[in-house]
Amino acid sequence: MQLVLVGVSHKSGSLDLRESLGGVSAEDALRRLKDAGWSECVVLATCNRFEVYAATSNSGDVDALATHLQAWSNGRLEQGLYSRRDGEAVSHLFAVAAGLDSLVVGEAEILGQVKQAYQAASAAGLTGKLTNVLFQRALHVGKLVRSDTGVSSGQLSVASVAVTLAERIFGDLHKSSVLILGAGTMAELTARHLLSAKVSRLHIANRTWEKARTLASALEAEPVRWEDFPRLLESVDIVIGSTGASEPVLTKAMVEEAIKVRQGRSLFIIDIAMPRDAESSIDEFEHAYLYSLEDLEGLVRENLSMRRKEIEAAETLVGAKSAEFAAWLQEAAAGRQAALRHSADAAPRS
Amino acid sequence: MMELNLFRLAAVFYTAGTAFAFVYLYAREDKWSRWMRWCLYAGAAAHVASFGFRLQAFWAIPENRFFLPINSFFGALSFLALATAVVFVIVEGRHQLGILGAFVLPWALAASWGAVWRASQMGNTEIHGLVPALQSYWINIHPAVLMVSYCIFGNAFGVGLALLIQERQVKSKRPSELCYRLPAIEDLDSLNYRLIAFGFPILTVGIIMGGIWAYGAWGRFWGWDAKETWALITALVYAAYLHMRIVAGWRGRKAVYMSMFGFTCVVFTFIGVNFLSELHGYLSNR
Repeated sequence: MQLVLVGVSHKSGSLDLRESLGGVSAEDALRRLKDAGWSECVVLATCNRFEVYAATSNSGDVDALATHLQAWSNGRLEQGLYSRRDGEAVSHLFAVAAGLDSLVVGEAEILGQVKQAYQAASAAGLTGKLTNVLFQRALHVGKLVRSDTGVSSGQLSVASVAVTLAERIFGDLHKSSVLILGAGTMAELTARHLLSAKVSRLHIANRTWEKARTLASALEAEPVRWEDFPRLLESVDIVIGSTGASEPVLTKAMVEEAIKVRQGRSLFIIDIAMPRDAESSIDEFEHAYLYSLEDLEGLVRENLSMRRKEIEAAETLVGAKSAEFAAWLQEAAAGRQAALRHSADAAPRS
Repeated sequence: MMELNLFRLAAVFYTAGTAFAFVYLYAREDKWSRWMRWCLYAGAAAHVASFGFRLQAFWAIPENRFFLPINSFFGALSFLALATAVVFVIVEGRHQLGILGAFVLPWALAASWGAVWRASQMGNTEIHGLVPALQSYWINIHPAVLMVSYCIFGNAFGVGLALLIQERQVKSKRPSELCYRLPAIEDLDSLNYRLIAFGFPILTVGIIMGGIWAYGAWGRFWGWDAKETWALITALVYAAYLHMRIVAGWRGRKAVYMSMFGFTCVVFTFIGVNFLSELHGYLSNR
């Protein structure tokens, strides 16, 4: 048995993949390939890639596979299409599962998409010995790379860095409540990040009551009258400042009042307003943690440079695991028994 | 000899486990945490086997039969090391906090090597006949209960240390990799509190048991022996911690300093008092 891969991704062509494939979904593709007599194939279709992995006894089949894809796209895919065989196909899939081939390197979503692609093929009866071992291995490598290298660690936007920091203070955020000062775009973006982290309550205060109400209803949050927000400082865990005010709206005196009744609970203040919304002296209180926009941007820059370094380590690991699998593939093709360990040992890091 | 050799093996495993805990603190790979855990299991297994030999030798002396050999300094240190490792494995297992190994396991390490050192000083593992005052079923309960509370406080100390580091990390605004490895500030704070709230009643019960035993053995409930006094001071410090935490809402650094002071008292009650106490001194061999 040999492994072949034909596909197109954001790297090989800038065209809209979904459009160029004429709306062929993974299920459609699986069905059509089955009808065409293919017995072992997996289709990985995401916004950024469309790839078919197939096991075949004839290496010339890679052209046949490419012809299918071109037919579905009415010839529009001609240039972007790439094909790989055996060892190269293996290392490509492992790199994809590890997130190394993604638009945002190290992103986590792709691993779930690889899993879904494999499950769909399996449900359609289109997996066999080779594809089973290959995809289970790819999922294992994808997890290994994420746990053993920093390739997916470190957030790359101000809002997500802020959420990560909040988790370093409060742990799971599902019991945390949030007060947002301002109702602009940055306020909304950060609020959405916090909501996806499942915070328990979200309050939105804005000088213009109408704006607070509009954003609050869009986010299923609670609008708060501007003059009432200092009282909320007594109970919330996270405060986000993102007003357009020219003077700080969150003063040391306000926080001092609130701290008297907070019983030592941590208060995380994220000031992403320019100019600043919170007086910097607030940081002097033991249980108050104040991060400004510059602080957060500094962390984003650090994460970016760290991630670049980690990509190398991830590539080494993927390379080692691919070579291991390719060797197994060769042995299996020659009909010999070979063992493939699911060892958790990482390749030596440089 | 078998007892001591197995015990040394256990100490070596605890050392390796602690080393892996430190590696895990800085390296991302989960395998270090697994290695740490396996070392602890292996250490505890060797330790229990060593204790089996100890029991056999101890019970060979007729008047010692069915009493636990933890009256001596070696026996107590050995028990502390084992209990610290076991308490850590339980806490870690419940909360997936292998990362705290670097903060807690050094105590198991210190206790086990302390026992090895003691054995080399004495030339043996301190197995001798119990004096009549100690020939009571209380010896199986009173010291063990107290030492379990010490181990819980030892774990709390490690958690407190991690909290101080994490707090400083977040406050610095330039958190390092360590910040993302350690548990959240509020989680560490609540774990520190819960460990102490769990250890405190055990300590109190242990002290009361000692009083009852003392009444039977020496004819008085309380005698201001140095060990008794310091145990009381320790209990009062932790009581004050719980009070400040629950009533006055002390959290974070201040609370941690107080709990650390409590643990200093524990260490002094366990070791320092030996030089002061007539009745409780492991070193006076009573």
